[in-house]
Amino acid sequence: MAAATALRANPDRNFRYWLLTPAIFLLLLVGLFPLFYSLAVSFMRIDMMDTDTSFAGLYNYGNLFKDKRLWEALGHTLLITVIALPIELLLGLAMAYLFLEKMPGRQIFVSLLVLPTIISPIVAGATWRLLFDNRFGPINQILGWFAGHPVTALWTINPRLVYPAIIFCEIWQWTPFMFLILLAALSNVDRSQTEAAAIDGAGFSRTFLRIVLPAIWPVMAIAILIRGLDLVRIFDIIWALTSGGPGTMTETISVYTYAQGFKQFETSYTAAIAFLVIVILTVVVTWAIRRMGLAK
Amino acid sequence: MVTRRDLGKIGLAAGFAGTFTRPAWAESAADIAVKAAQQYKGQTISIVWEAGLQSLDPLNFSGPKWKELTGIDVKVVEVPVAEMFTKIMQDFRSGAGAYDALNVIPAWMPDLANAGALEVLDPFVDKYAYRDELQKIAPTYRDNQMMVNGKIYGFPDDGDVFVMYYRKDVLGDPALQAAYKEKFGQDLPVPPTTWKDFDQVGAFITEFTGGKTFGAAFFRESGYGNFMFQERFRTEGGKFFDGETMKATINSDAGVKVFTDWLAENKFGPPGVEQWGFVENLAGFLQGQTAMTVSWPPYGRWAASYGTDQEVMSWVPKSTIAGKVGYAMPPGGHPELAAGFCLSVSSGSKNKEAAYLFIQWLNSEAVSLERVKLPYALRDPFRDSHFTDPGYLALWPDAKDYLAALQAGANNGLLDLSLLQTDKYEEVLRQSVSKLWAGEDPKAILDAAAGEWDAITEKIGVDKQKAVYADWAAKSGAYPKM
Repeated sequence: MAAATALRANPDRNFRYWLLTPAIFLLLLVGLFPLFYSLAVSFMRIDMMDTDTSFAGLYNYGNLFKDKRLWEALGHTLLITVIALPIELLLGLAMAYLFLEKMPGRQIFVSLLVLPTIISPIVAGATWRLLFDNRFGPINQILGWFAGHPVTALWTINPRLVYPAIIFCEIWQWTPFMFLILLAALSNVDRSQTEAAAIDGAGFSRTFLRIVLPAIWPVMAIAILIRGLDLVRIFDIIWALTSGGPGTMTETISVYTYAQGFKQFETSYTAAIAFLVIVILTVVVTWAIRRMGLAK
Repeated sequence: MVTRRDLGKIGLAAGFAGTFTRPAWAESAADIAVKAAQQYKGQTISIVWEAGLQSLDPLNFSGPKWKELTGIDVKVVEVPVAEMFTKIMQDFRSGAGAYDALNVIPAWMPDLANAGALEVLDPFVDKYAYRDELQKIAPTYRDNQMMVNGKIYGFPDDGDVFVMYYRKDVLGDPALQAAYKEKFGQDLPVPPTTWKDFDQVGAFITEFTGGKTFGAAFFRESGYGNFMFQERFRTEGGKFFDGETMKATINSDAGVKVFTDWLAENKFGPPGVEQWGFVENLAGFLQGQTAMTVSWPPYGRWAASYGTDQEVMSWVPKSTIAGKVGYAMPPGGHPELAAGFCLSVSSGSKNKEAAYLFIQWLNSEAVSLERVKLPYALRDPFRDSHFTDPGYLALWPDAKDYLAALQAGANNGLLDLSLLQTDKYEEVLRQSVSKLWAGEDPKAILDAAAGEWDAITEKIGVDKQKAVYADWAAKSGAYPKM
């Protein structure tokens, strides 16, 4: 009797941990195990074409620094990111401002504008490849109407056109994402403050910089971070449009990693690339979070 | 009214009736396979097959027929060709045993066989008396695409070969011929047999017609360009490696000439030809926009409108040139035996015997003949009997010339380069072609490619690769006999 009372009074303190165990185990299994396994693989000599799986030490990591194509791929990724991200942000912000006020058919327009974001990137890339096609695509045809003569621009081959084509697709697909997030943020800005600023004679830029931007900044920073990370991982659109070509001119780090892992079968080296990317991204994201004030 | 489709069905029925009602003393390989396989009734075997049109063969024809004859279900695993090697290797390395039978591109065979992913077929071949019928496969395929280290790992099952197609009406136009003679002081060669003549004729047609009909178009998209380069490079006298040192020699004068000539040829081809792959080139030729091209055998059948009335072929542009097409060897006379397929058994299969019996049946003389005649199939004639089959010869008026060109191609064809980790070398070539269209200098591209090839060879092991290359280079179809 006394024991039962004691049990009721002091239930097993560890019971709550037991309840959490399955969830933690699952998280470790699907989250951390692959990570640690990949890390282990990156120190080995695994290649799908060979049976040698011996320990390689830092061999694969050493090769990273000698791999010109890898650093070029990182450069291509950076190039796309630094061009596409600001354009998406500015266009998204402009569109959000445009749709901030009530207007007839606003809901329908917003829904239509968001459509590209819903499409799978690989489908979007394949669609744009068709649109850019020299023989069957309408883009050259439309340009031809304006030019007054047939236009045979090779959008996915010509070195001068291939990046504009990729960046255009990327902006077409993801600007609506920025737009949607920024529209929500702008809708929550305290109107009384902007109205007061207007009464005090503040212009648009002053109001935006002093009142609107600080108000929407936490949301905008998150949107920049999400899109920035997406752009660093960009794969589908590139793969569908150019497969990294011409040559390796548009090969991004994701495309290169895929090529090493699933076309060249360099399993361990691919794991090393993946960890290099993780390290770079961790440093950049940590810096960005601090810089953007998101850590507060 | 009896339609072509009905005729096809009657033909198939008659073929099978002939095949499966023979007396016991004349048992064919197909009969033997069917009888032996009946013990596995109720089982399911899986086979990896290229996704798309290729898969219609086992899905619509051979799979259901096999089920009817043996009670064995065939599960067709459709995989895009670019992923087939990866999937097969992944299945093997993981030990999953998900695939029983496989379609394997011959150039992959050394890699797959050396890795242990393929089952040695010799014991089955002997057990099920298939050697005689195997011998009737056209020698190029039989002698070059079946074995690794003296053991059979696959049955050649697709006579893929590049053929030159040309418009007889365009090249035979008296006005064009007269103008050509006036300009060059020589008769217009019909068809051109050297690349020099081909380029001259092609440029002249474009000039003469004012671009209404372009002289020629080709596969220029890098995936196909790899095959085109391999053929052209060797017909220009190029060798892939120095056999002693295993240093890559693709940056030789022959390689640079190929790339330089390609750039010149693009100028008399349709605008944007640099982007052309299988479908673009097909559409250009079938719609009468180009006078000459080089491609795989289905172009010839579809140009003659054979099989294109089938619903599954609705994507093929309607031919406007039926009856006007000539078939010949590509200039140089040594066409690439580009890609192709062999039938193999996965070493990880849990149904090896049943899988083997299925591929023996598919590959047998009787059944393969029906398969290469399927209007929608992409399997091309590969047995001596296919080239002379009266039924095939009667499929369209010029089928005789077509089959003669395919047979000549089989006899003179050049094998795809096949080494350890071939795809790594081919990937470098694909990228090189892509760089060429981006405007880079041919010599610089090929110097870089040769450097990359050397790095791949060194990583694999020079001596190891040297032995494999020596084995490949000794094959009859490795280099043209000059």
